Amino acid sequence: MKRNDFAARVFIPVVSILISFLIGAVIIAAMGANPLEALQYLWKGAFGNVRNLGTTFARATPLIFTTLCACFAYRCGVFNLGGEGQFIIGAILACFIATKVPLTGVPAILLCAAAGAVGGGLWAMIAGLLKVYRGQNEMIITIMLNYIATLLMGVVYTNWLRDGNIPQTAAVPDEVKLPSFLGMRATIAFPIALIIGLLIFYYLFSTSSGFRLRAVGLNATAAKVNGFNIKHYVLMSFAVSGAIAGLGGALELLGTQFRLINGFAAGYGFDGVAMALIASLHPLTGILVAVFFAALRVGSTMMQTATGVPTSVSDIIQALVIVFTVAGLAMVRLPAFRNLFTRKARKEA
Amino acid sequence: MDIANLILAAIRISSPLIFLSLAELYSQRAGLVNIGIEGIAAIGSLVGFLVSVTTGSPVLGVLAGAAAGILVNMIFAFATVTLCAEQIVYGMAINIFAPALAAFIYRVYFGSGSTLVQGDLMATLESMLGIKSDHFLVNLSLDQTPMVYIAYGLVIITGIYFSRTRSGLNFKAVGEYPKAAATLGINVNKTRYMACVICGALAGIGGAYLTTCYSRTYVDGNVAGRGFIALAAVIFGRWNAWGVLAACLFFGFCDALQIRLQVVSNTIPYQFFQMIPYAATILVLAMVGVKKAGPKACGQPYRKEER
Repeated sequence: MKRNDFAARVFIPVVSILISFLIGAVIIAAMGANPLEALQYLWKGAFGNVRNLGTTFARATPLIFTTLCACFAYRCGVFNLGGEGQFIIGAILACFIATKVPLTGVPAILLCAAAGAVGGGLWAMIAGLLKVYRGQNEMIITIMLNYIATLLMGVVYTNWLRDGNIPQTAAVPDEVKLPSFLGMRATIAFPIALIIGLLIFYYLFSTSSGFRLRAVGLNATAAKVNGFNIKHYVLMSFAVSGAIAGLGGALELLGTQFRLINGFAAGYGFDGVAMALIASLHPLTGILVAVFFAALRVGSTMMQTATGVPTSVSDIIQALVIVFTVAGLAMVRLPAFRNLFTRKARKEA
Repeated sequence: MDIANLILAAIRISSPLIFLSLAELYSQRAGLVNIGIEGIAAIGSLVGFLVSVTTGSPVLGVLAGAAAGILVNMIFAFATVTLCAEQIVYGMAINIFAPALAAFIYRVYFGSGSTLVQGDLMATLESMLGIKSDHFLVNLSLDQTPMVYIAYGLVIITGIYFSRTRSGLNFKAVGEYPKAAATLGINVNKTRYMACVICGALAGIGGAYLTTCYSRTYVDGNVAGRGFIALAAVIFGRWNAWGVLAACLFFGFCDALQIRLQVVSNTIPYQFFQMIPYAATILVLAMVGVKKAGPKACGQPYRKEER
């Protein structure tokens, strides 16, 4: 059964991706373009040369952070849908420090990153405390906090840190910008994201604390009977997942966006949730999924310029992947579906 | 009369929330937590806008929005009722899928040009009847689109349905204890599908309201969290039509108040006022506290094979 589950976890997303691309191809054909050609440009745009690859990695970096944020929280049974708000709070704090604190170079970057992580963690803790002590539904609270964080960012770029006539903040000084990764457009934030993914993988599957956290997520009652401190793990999963997102926000600001502006990080939170679900909450698979989605986004720009197929086709493909994968993963867990295989096995035997 | 205008605005703003909250109420009463209504409203809003613009009839737009809502929610129904997918997870999937679809259809239909397409708004009863008056009571009762009346009518119908009718009690039983309901001969899955049809239609109407009665244009993200606030309204309203109405009016009032405050004050950044409805949601939920009053089987899949 164990092996079956693993096969399903790989098989279902792959089949979902294929079906989604097939539907995407039909849509492209219906719009009067050649689907094969369009998909070719999609591939070239994402991975065609080192420059495009760098762009893909750069685009993937913030998504990896929000994906890991979702993975970590859900492993503990905490539906933190607030990755976006936590990401934005991290970016706001980094923006303040980068433009207002008279520090430069590595100390400034470290301070920004630390402030982002702490800020994101604290922002998530609002929802965590309300869940643990007031029994509140964390999904609604974190979503409301997303809107509040986005509006707070609005205050920052239209008022507090506004630079000139356009509602946006000044760009962070060059000395605080993150160094590039192997000379590509991606910055060192990308390898940092990978390392954090590995750390989470190690923590969840190779430490006793991580085991307890997963136990709380799988069956809180059983975990409680075993004497695990549920409140502690729930609060910790909020804080850590928020810190991951907040760090992501700080690094995105210093590495790619450089300034806060309308639309910063829009949709990253829910994207992260979706990618974590496609990856069955596995942090390393989550990284792969995030890179895949980033590639679709980066590649679709080239597809649009070369063939005129709008980039929103790739949004549809991404959304279909999510819809099919989640349904597929549920389907293989159905008793009727499982009986299908056991009956076959019995017949063969 | 400023208070009067505020109340009028609150009623106008809370109407889409009432549709969305009732959608969620029907869904949860059958044991299905549907956090995808935000996305369903997005699709309803777009389809309502498209049909309203092309046919020139906002009423047809609302109907089309309802149909689109049902269609999208059937995906949710199939996945969660038949495939027993986790409801929260699938609701999230719908929340990502439906707005992407809406944005795509808009781009394809109107091109990516920058010209803003505007549709007609549904006429108010006042203009339909040809009455002109500035009296508050006249405005309160007549300066509203028919949709507002439908919203309040639905609240009354829902309240009676769930407390006074046999079918409504059966419906509730499915959300409380599906196995017991099944032994009494109630078809659990059929009831849940029905709930999804009602939920999809109402959520679609709630979305279409935004583009046929509230604003002349469609923009991506125009639902702006109303679907999630509706979720909060159902909890705050203790899963009861009257409570839900009170919660929606409260949130509508917060929203009307923040728009008013934005105009009045020019020293405080307007975003702080925009935070009011969202902050109020958190505060209210924090005050309501831990009492669990929702349908007991909410969120749990029903598998006939399991005994």
